[in-house]
Parts: sequence; C-alpha cells; structure tokens
Amino acid sequence: MVLSGTEADIINTVARLKEATKDQIRRKVGFSPEYIEFLCRYLVRKGYLTFSNGRYSLARAEMKTQFTEEPKIDKELIKEIVNEAVKEISGELKKTASGIKIKTGFEFPVEDESLALESNIDKIGAKVEKEKSNIDRLIQLFRKIKKKGGRDD
Amino acid sequence: MTKGNKEKEIECLKAEMQKGKGVDIGTVFVKCAYMEGEEIMFRSERNAFFEVEYSGFTKKIFDESKIKYIIKDDKFYVVGDAALQFANMSNKETRRPLSKGVISPTEKEALPMVELLIKSVVGEPRYQDEIVYFSVPGEPLDADFDVIYHIKTVEGFLKTLGYTPRPINEGLAVILSELADKNFTGIGISLGGGMVNVCLSFISVPIFKFSLIQAGDWIDQQVASVTDEAASRISAIKESSIDLSKEGGLNKIENALSIYYKHLIEYVIEHIKQEFNKIGGMPSMADPVTIVLSGGTSLPNGFSQRFKQILDQLKLPVPAGSVRMAAQPLRSVAKGALVAASAEEVKL
Repeated sequence: MVLSGTEADIINTVARLKEATKDQIRRKVGFSPEYIEFLCRYLVRKGYLTFSNGRYSLARAEMKTQFTEEPKIDKELIKEIVNEAVKEISGELKKTASGIKIKTGFEFPVEDESLALESNIDKIGAKVEKEKSNIDRLIQLFRKIKKKGGRDD
Repeated sequence: MTKGNKEKEIECLKAEMQKGKGVDIGTVFVKCAYMEGEEIMFRSERNAFFEVEYSGFTKKIFDESKIKYIIKDDKFYVVGDAALQFANMSNKETRRPLSKGVISPTEKEALPMVELLIKSVVGEPRYQDEIVYFSVPGEPLDADFDVIYHIKTVEGFLKTLGYTPRPINEGLAVILSELADKNFTGIGISLGGGMVNVCLSFISVPIFKFSLIQAGDWIDQQVASVTDEAASRISAIKESSIDLSKEGGLNKIENALSIYYKHLIEYVIEHIKQEFNKIGGMPSMADPVTIVLSGGTSLPNGFSQRFKQILDQLKLPVPAGSVRMAAQPLRSVAKGALVAASAEEVKL
C-alpha cells in the first residue's frame, strides 16, 4: 500500500514518540482532530499502528527503521509536550479549550463501512411502534417561538 | 383570506409537517421518529451485540427464527434484543458500539455496527436532503472526553445516506417533546444507559446543558459488583421488575438497585444546583421551573416520586415546580428531534 504524505507523517511521529495520543499527533502533523483520528483508524485497520489506552504505537517494531529518518531527538516536540504538561497541571489548557467557540462548519467525510457487513437486519426490519400524533401543535408553537427569537442550540 | 385558501394552506402545512425525521442515538437504543399520516412512527433497535460461534447451521436457524445477526471478518454477532438474551443465558456481558453516550473507543467493530444499526432504523431519506435531527449529548461534567468526534461521525454518516443532518441536544429534545404547555421552558432530563443529559431551557433556548456518565449502566455495574451478578442480568431485572416505591421486602438485588438509584438521583440534582450557581441566577420566570424526566433509567415505578422527594431535601436555588414523567419516556428524545426537524421543513 502506498501511504499518503500525511499518513507517513503520522507514522513518523508515532515512531519518534514510541506512543502518541491523537492530540500529540495532531499538533505535529496538523489538520483537525477528526481528520487525524480518521487517518489513525485507517492506519490501525491497515496494520501499521495499534491503539491501546488512548495511545497509538507502531504495530511492527521493524517499521521504526523505515520511518524514522528524521533526527531521533525532536527538541521542538519535546518542548511542546513539556509545555502542554505544564498547562495541563495548571488547568490552563481546560480554560482555553472551553473559552473558544468553534464556528467553522467542518465536514467530516465518513465512509459507509457497514456495506462490508453481512446481516439479516434489513430483512427482519426494526421494531416499529406508533402513537397518535399531537405533534402539529408542538411544531406550530416551536416555529412561532423560533420566528420571534430563534433557538441557539 | 377566503375560506378555500385557508383550507389549502392548512393542507399544505400538514403535508410539510410529514417531512423530516428525528433520531435518538442512545447508548442502549437507536430510535427514529417520523410522521405517517396522522401517526408518529417509531422504529428502534437495541444498540448491543454478542459474539457467538459461527456455523452455517446457526445462520440458518437464526434466519428462520428471525434473530438478527451481523457477520464481520468471519465473526458472528447476534444484535438487538437477542444479544441481551444470549448474554444472560451465558452469564456474560453484551458488547456495545456506544459507550457513555458516544461511539465506543474500545470496540474495534463499533463504527460499522453503529452505521448498520442507524441505517436500519433511519432508512433511506424519503427525498434528497431530507432534514434529520439527531440527538447529541452535552459535554460531560464528570469525564475527561468531549463529544465532537461522535457528533461529526454521526453527522457525516447521515450525510452519506443522503440526509441533511442537524444535531440537537438530548435534554432539549425532551423539552421540545414534553414542555409545550410551558412554552418549552423548564428542565429536561434524559436518563439513559450511558449518560444522563440535562438541559435548562427558557422558551426553547438552552440556558445550560450538560451530561454525566454516571447513568443506567453505572447502576448496573455497581449493583453487579456488590451482588456478584453479571451487569446484563442486573439490567434485565432493572428494566422489568424494579419498583422504587416499595420500601420493604426487597431482595438483595432490588435493595442494591434502590440504593444506587437514590445515589444517582442525588448526583444529578447536585450537578444541576452546581450549574445554576455557575450561571449566577435565572432568567425571570413567572412560574416555578418544571422538570420532566425521560429515558430508560427513569422507567421504574416510583422513580419520579423518589426524584421529587430527594429534590425537596436538596432544593434547587430557584423555585421548583412539578416533577413529571415524559408521556412516553423511551420516545421523547426522538419525538423532540422530530419536532425540530418538522419545524425546519415547514416552509410556509
């Protein structure tokens, strides 16, 4: 399998750190946490990485020689990790995370992995229940309120 | 406007209201609500699976007996209600694609399983880009994880199916379903298996919303550990026979369930108090705040009375009004999501 540049970057990062959380990988490689997680899961499925206790590591030890072409000690990354640890201890990280509202609408591409499964679920069908609807009144009232002020979910 | 035009408008409005779907993506069940004529239809599936040994014969028997299964990588999984029955028979635990309200990080099979279960319940969109509101948990106060990955994954999957997905907080969905008589003002609490979700809303605008990971599964695990039973068995007893209004004559399991239910209720109320204190006051409300309870963990007989008793002891920083059960506690999240979806679909 030919790896993309980002996938190779992820493996390099994991090889250098021996074990890395999703956030550590993201800070080194870039992109959103969702996209990094997506790629990591893909690399786990393809047998490059393993995932345990929230950390990724190389699935095969010999891969280290294949991917660790960069200097073995990455001072910048170490500095970043130490800074993060200090922030975590002081609680600063949590404050920053909760204080910022993400406004961009990132679309996360999701494959339908269920297509690969064999199942009789559709043949049997889901459990179906019915109830007499009183929903018109609820919808009208909700629309009226939304028109007046809007709902901010 | 003439009478004929008005009638036409009502007919159009009714037709528009048939559009849209609401989905409750819970740790224990996935449930979808949609309108069909004058009725709301609910399609649901238990979110659990259990691995059994594979053979062609087993598959044939399962097909004939209408036991739902999934085959993945040569492994054979019973899914839905039957998974719970199989687990109970072998005194083992079912596996869950969702854990603590979100896609389980420890289950390798989780994502395709969730996708299949959602697909079987939600079905194809009835027209391109049909709006579907899906329930999402609030940020957990008692756990160190966020819900972003879960939301984005479900959203992306519904989009793949051809829907226009929109997230709605689970507690708010309960309010939309149950508190129209209070102008969607009050506290909606959804007590599920993996999470308790709470939302305080003022005329449909959330003031605070949060989740807690001490919920139904937590009760099962605690009771299982003190009674030396499997959590799946405790869950089955909890769902079928526990009566919280009974004071005496309880067996060991019932007694333990009663203790942990009390603990859970107190835990939820203390967190609500804490959130009230954080916002430092309330929007001016003419009436005391109504609390509505829903979800599978709220089902035992006597649950709302016990909640009220403990609330009276602990007291909120605002006047509390009635504590009431949702009309259909297992359907209110999906129904509330449907209200939001249909309201958005109505273009008139």
